[in-house]
Amino acid sequence: MTGKTAKAIFWVGTLSSLIIFLWLTYDFHQQEPKYAKTDKISAQVVAGKKVWHKYNCNDCHTILGFGAYYAPDMTKAYFRLGENNIVSIVMNPEKVYKNSFRKMPNLGVTKEEAANLVQFLKWVGTIENRKWPPQDEKFVKAYKLRETSAHTLNKADIVMGACGGCHSLENLGRSIASDFNDIAKTTSFDRATLVKFTLNPQSVRPDSGMPNQNVSPATAELIADFILSLKIGKEVQK
Amino acid sequence: MIAYESQRVARWYLELSLILFCLQVTVGLWLAVNYAFTLPQGLVDVLSFATSRAIHTNTLVAWLLLGFMGGSYFILPLECKRELYSVKIAYAQLVIFAGTAVTAVVGFLFGWTQGKPLLEIPVPLDMLIVVAALMFVFNVAMTIFKAKERSLIQWMLLSGVTFLSVLYLFGIPFFSNLNADYYYWWWVIHLWVEGAWELITAAIIAFIILEVTGVERKVVEKWLYVETGLFLFTGIVGTGHHYYWIGAPDYWLWWGGIFSALEPVPIALMVLDTWMHVKERKNPIVNPLLWTYIIGLALFHFLGAGVFGFIHTLPQINYYTHGSQITVSHGHLAFFGAYALLNLVVFYFAFPKLKGIEKFDEKLGVWGFWTMVISMVFMGLIFGVAGVLQTYLERILDIGYSTAHMSMMFWFKAVLFFGVIFLAGVVTTAYHLFSLKKAEA
Ligand code: HEC
Ligand SMILES: [Fe+2]
Repeated sequence: MTGKTAKAIFWVGTLSSLIIFLWLTYDFHQQEPKYAKTDKISAQVVAGKKVWHKYNCNDCHTILGFGAYYAPDMTKAYFRLGENNIVSIVMNPEKVYKNSFRKMPNLGVTKEEAANLVQFLKWVGTIENRKWPPQDEKFVKAYKLRETSAHTLNKADIVMGACGGCHSLENLGRSIASDFNDIAKTTSFDRATLVKFTLNPQSVRPDSGMPNQNVSPATAELIADFILSLKIGKEVQK
Repeated sequence: MIAYESQRVARWYLELSLILFCLQVTVGLWLAVNYAFTLPQGLVDVLSFATSRAIHTNTLVAWLLLGFMGGSYFILPLECKRELYSVKIAYAQLVIFAGTAVTAVVGFLFGWTQGKPLLEIPVPLDMLIVVAALMFVFNVAMTIFKAKERSLIQWMLLSGVTFLSVLYLFGIPFFSNLNADYYYWWWVIHLWVEGAWELITAAIIAFIILEVTGVERKVVEKWLYVETGLFLFTGIVGTGHHYYWIGAPDYWLWWGGIFSALEPVPIALMVLDTWMHVKERKNPIVNPLLWTYIIGLALFHFLGAGVFGFIHTLPQINYYTHGSQITVSHGHLAFFGAYALLNLVVFYFAFPKLKGIEKFDEKLGVWGFWTMVISMVFMGLIFGVAGVLQTYLERILDIGYSTAHMSMMFWFKAVLFFGVIFLAGVVTTAYHLFSLKKAEA
């Protein structure tokens, strides 16, 4: 190879790649509204993003898969947890994760900041990112369909979609709060009380640490039925 | 045995760089402790993982950049056959850069942050970094312009440091849109490590190889053109491998996938050309350890950055491995293999000359090299195992995060073990460099 060819490789290689890249960048911005729903970026979403930066959440949590891998990904956290749970976790992590193997610091996030964060995470959840992360797709699906067409979903998926942020069902969900099998075994609540408890735990048990759940009464009923069916299932087995 | 008085400024850069390397690795061990054990809430509230990670990654970038800058200041006079344009600027720039870095780290401890991973330095401090970078680029450029002879190595080094500085700007603004934010975040991170930094590496290594082997300049320059051309060709569009899951059009899967699959090619060429030049050397080997480092760099660069990057760059695989400990594994192997070793090559090239030693006693340094390399291979493997397991548990078996992550505690105890050994290697190396002695005849 001559020196001239080598030089040509450098210039052709660099410039062709640069041109393609800049052109794709232009197109990325053209398509941003479609993929990132930019019209939904309200002042509150922007405020929430600033809170996200202020407390350096991203150096523990990934979002869109980027950042530190120390804590759960936040891309679809809104669908996984719902509004009240996010607020309660972010404001009182020391209570929520009292028995956890890994702690989240209490960062002193205010109520208003937490509300903004929720709006930010809600918007992030709507970014069209090819259904990543894979493990959260079930939560997204359950969130979107449980109100309108619950019959198309598996009952366990609905329940875990709504409650899996804290409760487990065998291997599914998280072991922050009790497993549904244990709940079924030990609860003395009837259906109406279970529904009431789900929507507003403190109205049934004032000392409960569980936040009010952002689910419709219909979904709460479905959850109650699910718990009771586990109980019956166990008794039938016996 | 320096040829130009102004080369001495490099010493301050390189020594500070080494100290920060030790600090970076120490903080890294603390991160592993955070993973391996359950820490009390009171401690987590005061010194969180997030703060420690910001320090770990920022000291990494700081010591690498200090090494690049010190290395440039050391080789430029030789390559330009004249003194640096301004020694004063070089010192002033160092004071600004180091002062900013220290302020940033202290600031992190008090929660002063921009809150973007790896780019946590707040905007006012960013401005100081920009000032330091401008001074550096200016000084390098003026030294080159005033040189009697122009060479490709000069020119490539200048392009590399200019490109590096320009890219930094894309990390400074606030973006209200998260996906655009990350789109440009990668212009800093990816185009640094798979673009500008590769140019700097290629230029510095070309110079050192030329210097120690005595092979023909024309041949080295030809390789340099081809390698940097391929680095930029594959690396620029290859940025797309970070755009698969951020909410961007489908064509990125193709552009990103294909171009980044080619990214190992220029690194393989570097291995080849190092190998050939070492074989065809005209000069005798004076300090074998320097050669060990040069060859170690070529191979580890290829495996850690090239091959491992290739393995999880295809979208079909990346869908599962993205955002897991596999990235951590790749990150450690690539940064160590490509850039930590590059800096160590620079240290072992420059320190003896700065201290007026021709042939140094290398026993401790050899221990340092092998301790670092072997323990880093183990750390990379363990992060990798943890990552595969995490992916399998969470993304295939559908087990919840906390259940899946409890198993991480075991793997991170192992990482911690090898991390301690790695730190021992780093400290040994730093001690060896600081106390470099003449070899007994
Ligand atoms: C020092 C690291 C750290 C920082 C900083 C941090 N978190 Fe966390 N966070 C955690 C850990 C660890 C968990 C999970 C604990 C567990 O599962 O036991 C968690 C859990 C959460 C959860 C629940 C996730 C889920 O899927 O159940 C949310 C929501 C959350 N954090 C939001 C935030 C926000 C918002 C911020 C910034 C204001 C933040 N975190 C900052 C470590 C951190
Ligand atoms: Fe990359």
